[in-house]
Amino acid sequence: MATSTLTVEQIRADVADALGEDIADIPVDENLVDYGLDSVRIMALLERWRRDHGADATFVDLAEQPAIEAWAPLLGVTA
Amino acid sequence: MTALLEPATEALPVAGLPLTAAQSGMWFAQALDPQSPAQNTAECIEIHGPVEPRLFARALRRVAGEADALRVRLAETAEGPRQLPLALGSDDPADPARFPFEEYDLRGAADPDATARARMREDLARPFDLAAGPLFQHALFRVADERRLWFQRVHHAVMDGFGYSLLARRTAEVYTALAAGDEPGPSPFGRLTDLVAEDAAYRSSQAYETDRAHWNAAFADRPEAVNLAGRTALPSRTFHRRTAHIGAELSDRLKELAAGVRATWPEVLIAAQALYLSRATHTEEVVLGLPMMGRMGSAALRIPGMVMNVLPLRLTVAPHATFAELTRQVVLGIRAARKHQRYRYEEIRRDLGLLGEGRALVGPLVNVMPFDYGLTFAGAPSTAHNLSAGPVDDLTVNIYDRADGSGLRIDHDGNPALYKEHELGVHQRRFLALLARIAAADPHEPLARHGICTGAERALVLDEFNATARDVPPTTLIGPIEAQAARTPDAPALVFDGSTLTYGELNARANRLAWHLAELGVRPGALAAVAVPRSLDLVVALLAVAKAGGAYLPLDPDYPAERLAHMVEDARPAVVIADTAARVPAGVGVPAVVLQGLDVSGELPVNPPRALTPQHPAYVIYTSGSTGRPKGVVVPHGAIDNRLRWMQAEYPLGPGDRVLQKTPSGFDVSVWEFFWALRVGATIVMAAPGGHKDPAYLARTIREQAVTTCHFVPSMLQVFLAEPGAADCTGLRRVFCSGEALPRETVQEFGRTLPEVELHNLYGPTEAAVDVTYHPCDTRPAVAGPVPIGKPVWNTRLYVLDAALQPCPPGVPGELHLAGVQLATAYLGRPALTASRFVADPYGPAGSRMYRTGDLARWTEHGEIEYLGRTDHQVKLRGLRIELGEIETELAAREGITGACVLVREDRPGDQRLVGYVTGPHAEAFDADAVRDRLAQTLPDYMVPGALVVLDDFPLSPNGKLDRKALPAPAQAATGTGRAPRDPREETLTRLFAEVLGQDRLSVGMDDGFFDLGGTSLLAARLVRRIRDTLGADLAIGALFQAQTPAALAAQLDAGLGNDAVLRTLLPLRTAGSRTPLFVFHPAGGLSWCYSGLLARLDPDQPVYGLQARGLLAEADAHLPASMAEMAADYVRELRTVQPHGPYRLLGWSVGGVVAHTVAVLLQEAGEEVELLSLLDAYPSDQWQDQAVPAEADALTALLRMAGYERTDELTRDDVLATLHREGSALAGLSDTTLTAVVDIVVNNAHLMRAHRHRRFDGDVLFFTAAAPRPEHWLTPDSWRPYIGGTLTEHAIDCLHPHLTQAPHLDEIVDVLSRRLKELDR
Repeated sequence: MATSTLTVEQIRADVADALGEDIADIPVDENLVDYGLDSVRIMALLERWRRDHGADATFVDLAEQPAIEAWAPLLGVTA
Repeated sequence: MTALLEPATEALPVAGLPLTAAQSGMWFAQALDPQSPAQNTAECIEIHGPVEPRLFARALRRVAGEADALRVRLAETAEGPRQLPLALGSDDPADPARFPFEEYDLRGAADPDATARARMREDLARPFDLAAGPLFQHALFRVADERRLWFQRVHHAVMDGFGYSLLARRTAEVYTALAAGDEPGPSPFGRLTDLVAEDAAYRSSQAYETDRAHWNAAFADRPEAVNLAGRTALPSRTFHRRTAHIGAELSDRLKELAAGVRATWPEVLIAAQALYLSRATHTEEVVLGLPMMGRMGSAALRIPGMVMNVLPLRLTVAPHATFAELTRQVVLGIRAARKHQRYRYEEIRRDLGLLGEGRALVGPLVNVMPFDYGLTFAGAPSTAHNLSAGPVDDLTVNIYDRADGSGLRIDHDGNPALYKEHELGVHQRRFLALLARIAAADPHEPLARHGICTGAERALVLDEFNATARDVPPTTLIGPIEAQAARTPDAPALVFDGSTLTYGELNARANRLAWHLAELGVRPGALAAVAVPRSLDLVVALLAVAKAGGAYLPLDPDYPAERLAHMVEDARPAVVIADTAARVPAGVGVPAVVLQGLDVSGELPVNPPRALTPQHPAYVIYTSGSTGRPKGVVVPHGAIDNRLRWMQAEYPLGPGDRVLQKTPSGFDVSVWEFFWALRVGATIVMAAPGGHKDPAYLARTIREQAVTTCHFVPSMLQVFLAEPGAADCTGLRRVFCSGEALPRETVQEFGRTLPEVELHNLYGPTEAAVDVTYHPCDTRPAVAGPVPIGKPVWNTRLYVLDAALQPCPPGVPGELHLAGVQLATAYLGRPALTASRFVADPYGPAGSRMYRTGDLARWTEHGEIEYLGRTDHQVKLRGLRIELGEIETELAAREGITGACVLVREDRPGDQRLVGYVTGPHAEAFDADAVRDRLAQTLPDYMVPGALVVLDDFPLSPNGKLDRKALPAPAQAATGTGRAPRDPREETLTRLFAEVLGQDRLSVGMDDGFFDLGGTSLLAARLVRRIRDTLGADLAIGALFQAQTPAALAAQLDAGLGNDAVLRTLLPLRTAGSRTPLFVFHPAGGLSWCYSGLLARLDPDQPVYGLQARGLLAEADAHLPASMAEMAADYVRELRTVQPHGPYRLLGWSVGGVVAHTVAVLLQEAGEEVELLSLLDAYPSDQWQDQAVPAEADALTALLRMAGYERTDELTRDDVLATLHREGSALAGLSDTTLTAVVDIVVNNAHLMRAHRHRRFDGDVLFFTAAAPRPEHWLTPDSWRPYIGGTLTEHAIDCLHPHLTQAPHLDEIVDVLSRRLKELDR
């Protein structure tokens, strides 16, 4: 299955979807826990990113620094 | 075998680390009950495939070497509890400190899995020794050639659920590497030091303050956290577990549902649990506890350890809201909570003051664990099973997502003190059925469509329990009476005051009057008011109205004229029938029929014709109305006819039966008393007017008139049973109770007094033809529990419904609704009120109605109803139905009164009374008697408050509602004074008098009469029972009437007070009193009797409890404590049975002071407040360590001192005992075994004193020094300084140590102590 590279915008969109929030309300540099991100949602996101984008980060990696900015390099976002 | 040394991470510092806040809670819980295994957590990983045990053991050792948390022990140090480094031992089985790993091959066992599970259970029941360590245990069970169970148990103070997952994952990784001959990679774990540092940083951060403020604000109104058990209990050492699985199909549907409402599946399950809890407790507001892993954004994600926290989640479950909305509430609630998730649960409870009141912050816990892990061990797959998730205070629902995609596992864990195992199963089945219905339903429909019954329960409570259909002929109240009169005209029908009417005579008299009434317009559908006191004429008048076809409206002559006038104006009857002209309400403009002087001899004695149908009204009875006006309930003939036919079938009356008519006609119980007997050929015996309140008169009448059947309101039954003549009423066949809750103890008392007589409990509101349920009472003493109101009568359906009008399953409280033929037609002339109380029956035939009783009730499993209370402000006082709103309206209408509130208080146990509170008038100018007189003009006497209290303002709860609980008790009448008790039995008697009367013990003198002190016959019955229970004395109720004072009663009692009671660990010196109890701790000899001098000197409202040494009683399991800490922990448990939570007040003399200090430290460490610690000439262990332990000789000296003697020439134990006997000491009353025990206790305490290491008490100490010169001149209170956080205030008392607790020195001490206690009370 072809996988596409993740972008920060895609991460934002997926996070917004998982939280049931508008994408515009999701900052890239803030702690997402304050926006309702929890372990179950992280695992669901991770599962999606592994499947669709070949990401190889672990749950602990993402949970340790729950902010999009910190995730980008872990999830193989270039640029 | 050589120890396989695995590389370990660098050891912790030798001085160890402090505990994190998360660990402290667990540590203190363990310290309070060191033998409890409740803090054990355990899991079992089932490995399918080959495992090499030696390599597995190596992997375990390596992981333990990497995980700091497994290499600690938790010990008390001078700086408080710390985690100290622990070297893991060898593999040598002989080494007591060896690595905790066991290996078993169970392949030879009959059932290897069951054997393994039994071993695991045994291990799980073993408490860890925190101070010794190690705090984990591994075992590997081989249950088949290719299947092993890896069991691990870890103390919760060092590990949580997420930590387990880290350990298991790493173990699988290391084992897999070792099996492949590879070197495992470097440890992935972070350090415990970082966890501790992170905790410390948080606790001194701004975030900590912000979080605290958040929780304090969010829970400022301190919501009640309901639970499924309906009560709370102390934590148990074990828990019950019920496990169930949710299959893949249902869990997939739940996950889809979650996605559809933009939530996760755990949030859906939490919402479902909130819905279940709300419905199962009849409460809209619920608070769930959510265990959180607490590691997001933290280094703790890589550190195995104890981090988790429990956060409270408040939810409102409104029937009209949808499941989607409820789930959204959960999502947003968790989101808000998560921002403040580091603040500890224990701290929230403490901040809110819930700890001190022993109240829970949350109801059930919903513990979602999405971390079920499918690990492989060198290619062998595995499944994990949790065995214990830690202590269960109430109920924990653990939910695991099974990693293999096979669905969810749900464990219902319950505190055995609150839930039986099968009850957990019932909750679980219902919850799963509810989940299935939620998954199948549209989440945007109102929650009202979901009930919590399973399908089977629904069929049970709606249909099976209500299978009451019974064909009855379409008759009326009066028809069967006329038929009976024709059958047995000469049989006695009615007896009153020495005269008797036969059926024929009665029928003829009633007929003549009926013809007369018919001429005046009394006919079917019309009303006739009857204002006649109890007499032959009353029955004649009631029959006459019915015979004419009319409905009677009773006007109780005892009611105030204004109220009767209102009833007549409201009901507009065709006539008012009265015995005298004076009895006719004035100015109502209704024709009167005055029986006195009325000549109806010209009328026909035969039955009049009438076109009466079962639908026509039979009577109208007025009941209290919440809006300030009584309301008339219209009951049709069909309803009361059904009721009487059922009663005759259930309790067949025959010609020989005589029914006592004593209930005033204004209460519907009188309806069966008037009419039942006359329909079946039995006889009515009418009590004299007013006779129903006089137990002696009633007993005499029942006996002399050979009454077989009668009715009592339960409170009157209690009074009756206390009457000496009651036991002679053996001619009774059956007694009926109704009108208010029937206490079990009354039923038992009935069984003792009248063992051969049946007792039946009936229930029903006026709105449903007297009674709709019945229960035969089992009066044997062995039967316990609430007395049900029973099953439905003929053609009657009972529904217990939740807020969404869905049926409640057995055991779940809801509002009782009634349906069937006995329902009243309407409230007279009040269509809106009728429509609001008589509503469409959703479970009956189309067009049928049900009546909302406002009563809270539940089904038993056997199809009986238990009454639980009211859902509104209607109250029952001595069986009389009262709407408080009606009294409040009347009060508020009085001049100068701006606000009024009325409630029923029970300030003396068992003694209920109405108290009114008003605002507006000046307290000095308020004439309570005048207001009560005015109320009595419109309200019946039982609705006039016995006391009126003027307040400046009403107390309000935080949400601005009237806080009824905060209303003060009215001032009590002056109480007696007199001679003080002289011995324990006299003291007990005065205490019981005081308890029952709700007074201070010291206010009851030996010569004060029970009834002079405000006792009632109701309370007398209670006192006698208490004396029987407490003193084991066989005392008849009558004795209290002959011997009314404690002194006289004592003279009547043969049995003395046994010694045992005064040797128990908890010595209740004074239980009465509203103040915070004072706990006093025994000196060296282990007895706390020396503190009895405090009682007379302290405020009588100050309860005092002594703590005494174990071992005074020759109990099988008694052993002397091995350490001061063990002793103190034991006393903490004991004192918590009296006062579960702080603030505490502690005092100790001598050794007792050291004990008190140790107890204070333990309590403080458990998060409790200790507001008073007072030491009487007590010194810390440092002062004694260099002193020799006293020999037995010193112990004997101490024993004599306890008795108040200085030792002279007594050499041996026997000499000392002889002296005590000779001198008549109170101690001489003790058995020699006990005196010997005292000597052992003295010696043991001396050892414990010297070995004890004090921790710091963070508070002030009130110190009393025995300041007279003494040999031990080095003793100084200053030696406490290192162990006290606050200030030590010293008061020097000029005496020697042994004399501190004696007069007059004790006066000085209590002077100071009382002042301090008063300050604390403010």
